[in-house]
Amino acid sequence: MTNETKIEAVLTNPPEVRRNTIPASVDAAVDVVEAAISTEDMNVYYGDFLAVRDVNLDFARNEITALIGPSGCGKSTVLRSLNRMNDLIPGARVEGVVRFHGTNIYEPEVDPVEVRRRIGMVFQKPNPFPKSIYENVSWGAKINGFKGSKSEMEGLVETALRSAALWDEVKDKLGDSGYSLSGGQQQRLCIARAIATNPDIVLMDEPASALDPIATLRIEELMLDLKNEYSIIIVTHNMQQAARVSDHTAFFNVKLSDVGQRTGYLVEFSSTEQLFTAPKEKDTEDYITGRFG
Amino acid sequence: MSRPVPVLELDSKDYSDLFPEGEDLQRQIGARRRREGWARIIFLLVLLLTILALATLLYTIINGAFGMTAIVNAVEPEEIVESLGYDPAQVGLADLSQEELVEVLAGAVTNNVGRRLERDQRFFEDRLVFESEATWIEICASPEPPTGCALAPRDQSNILQLVNERVVVPDVVQTWDLVESITDREAIEAEIASADFQERHPGAQPEFRAWLNWQFVTSPQSDVPELAGVRTAILGSLWLMAITVLFAFPVGVAAAIYLEEFAKPNRVNRLIQTNINNLAGVPSIIYGMLGLAILVRALEPLTSGSLFLGEGQGVSENGRTILAAGLTLGLLILPVMIISSQEALRAVPNSLRAAGLALGATKWQTIRKHILPVAMPGILTGSILALARALGETAPLVVVGASTFITVDPTGPFSKFTALPIQIYQWTARPQQEFQNIAAAAILVLLILLLTLNATAVILRNRYSRSKM
Repeated sequence: MTNETKIEAVLTNPPEVRRNTIPASVDAAVDVVEAAISTEDMNVYYGDFLAVRDVNLDFARNEITALIGPSGCGKSTVLRSLNRMNDLIPGARVEGVVRFHGTNIYEPEVDPVEVRRRIGMVFQKPNPFPKSIYENVSWGAKINGFKGSKSEMEGLVETALRSAALWDEVKDKLGDSGYSLSGGQQQRLCIARAIATNPDIVLMDEPASALDPIATLRIEELMLDLKNEYSIIIVTHNMQQAARVSDHTAFFNVKLSDVGQRTGYLVEFSSTEQLFTAPKEKDTEDYITGRFG
Repeated sequence: MSRPVPVLELDSKDYSDLFPEGEDLQRQIGARRRREGWARIIFLLVLLLTILALATLLYTIINGAFGMTAIVNAVEPEEIVESLGYDPAQVGLADLSQEELVEVLAGAVTNNVGRRLERDQRFFEDRLVFESEATWIEICASPEPPTGCALAPRDQSNILQLVNERVVVPDVVQTWDLVESITDREAIEAEIASADFQERHPGAQPEFRAWLNWQFVTSPQSDVPELAGVRTAILGSLWLMAITVLFAFPVGVAAAIYLEEFAKPNRVNRLIQTNINNLAGVPSIIYGMLGLAILVRALEPLTSGSLFLGEGQGVSENGRTILAAGLTLGLLILPVMIISSQEALRAVPNSLRAAGLALGATKWQTIRKHILPVAMPGILTGSILALARALGETAPLVVVGASTFITVDPTGPFSKFTALPIQIYQWTARPQQEFQNIAAAAILVLLILLLTLNATAVILRNRYSRSKM
């Protein structure tokens, strides 16, 4: 076969391009159906620094999973790896597999924009856009190609704000800036914004750590309401919070490695009840009883 | 979940007696306070020095821009008015009609001068004053017709200026600065009235003259300092600023967005960044030479307009146009524009970027909708400062080829031009005292223009940041 005929053959029968995009719902062929998202032997590096190693976790659907552990154990890093927000940090790199709807989201064919569109995120400090409350909620839907009419958009905004338990407080001032709200209200606005794009999973990175106890309580109640529709993964420093709201808890610890790096690792992952009442590992027990950390 | 009480192994030594107490403490605090006091005094002195320097500058300029003058008219305006049968106490030269002014002019200038003036621009729509109809048709049909064939006829104020220039011919024979004029007015008037002064300058009359006046702002350039104005220079400067902004603002902001939001921190991008930082410190005359080599010479078809308007159709025959100069100034301020825009983008909290991306937005959507609006007031501030620098630049314009004497208003980007700094530079270089006075007046015009531009931009910025937050 000459080169020309080879090229001709390729031109007439182009090889099938396997687009590895994420299926909208779980394929029946995928056997693991319980997990909303799972990690397999995940290592996260910042440059040469190994931040977290060997993370194997299955996050269940319609549950709240809490990630706890001492400072620097990499729980936030793990959370941010789940929707590729770590891509924003120069030098950050993920090894292993993060499986979502049967697809590894770190495959080169997967667009991180698509991942983030399905896995929303709420951050530690409330970060509403410097726009009106209405625009804050509607923008995510708009950019993601929401096809509804203006009144349907209004309905979507109302539903999201109701789900975030914010509607009654803001229904008369949707045109006001998101910054005009209190800290707790801003955080609920951010939650409303995240769920308005109709994601599968909502990641929350210490969502209540910047809030007062009453606002914290409202966020926790909200999480319990939301888990009927979304899978929620939350990072928290507050063990009581983890015990109050989560169904499963993963405990991470950090250890100085031989090369002098402080690398985080998963110690124990079980149902919250078991982890707090009968931890299998000594480290876990020490941590939850307050002997360190 | 009870927490065990932490046990800290404390050093048993007591360090508290090592801190000063009582009078020692007073003395120690006193010494620190005194050092603060000295620093404050020095900073205040430096500030006063700056204010003094600025005040001196302003004083010098204003001192030159107003003051007493001794004026000798070739023909007194009163005589002209009287010769036409009016009462000089009631009618001024400016009140005369167009016909009367042309009549005065025709009676005073030679036929040759009159013909030249008419060829530049006609006096009347319907008739000719100095030329015969036959010659007029002939010269208008020639290959190079004078401008008068196409231009609309002169208006009353234009002819009034001609009468002033050609008939009255006011000549300032001596000037005094503002402070002298206020404190020693009588002495100056007495000096002008003295026999000695009148012998040297017969008919000299004292007159308080504001060199910065409306006529100065609205008149074109002239050989006679008493009649010269800065209209062409103001229009030239405004045209330049327009071209500069249109070029440097979008290019600068786009480059800043790329470097700040998209560029990966690799060696190439670091090199680009370093070079931009260095370019901000390159002397402006170097940019002038760049403009001359590339914009004026190499890109002549583009900058002279012949590419768009056809060969020889451009207002200017070469690349020394507003477009070339504006682009040169744009290049000059581009590094500053980029750096300040980058600074403004960097000041936008990262949480906003994260918020956008976490919703499934692309980087550009996040930048366009959320980052840029927040950074815009900062970007505008940087741009205003950069533009203010461009407005005052002289050296690159000299190199690029600003005209030093031009009486025709710029009509577009392909016109020949002059600019305020060029005009000021050129006037200050002249030996006659009157040119120093009009240079001072032109500096005031430049300062006012600068302040107006800045104020507009600040108002614009404040409105922008208010509406966005």
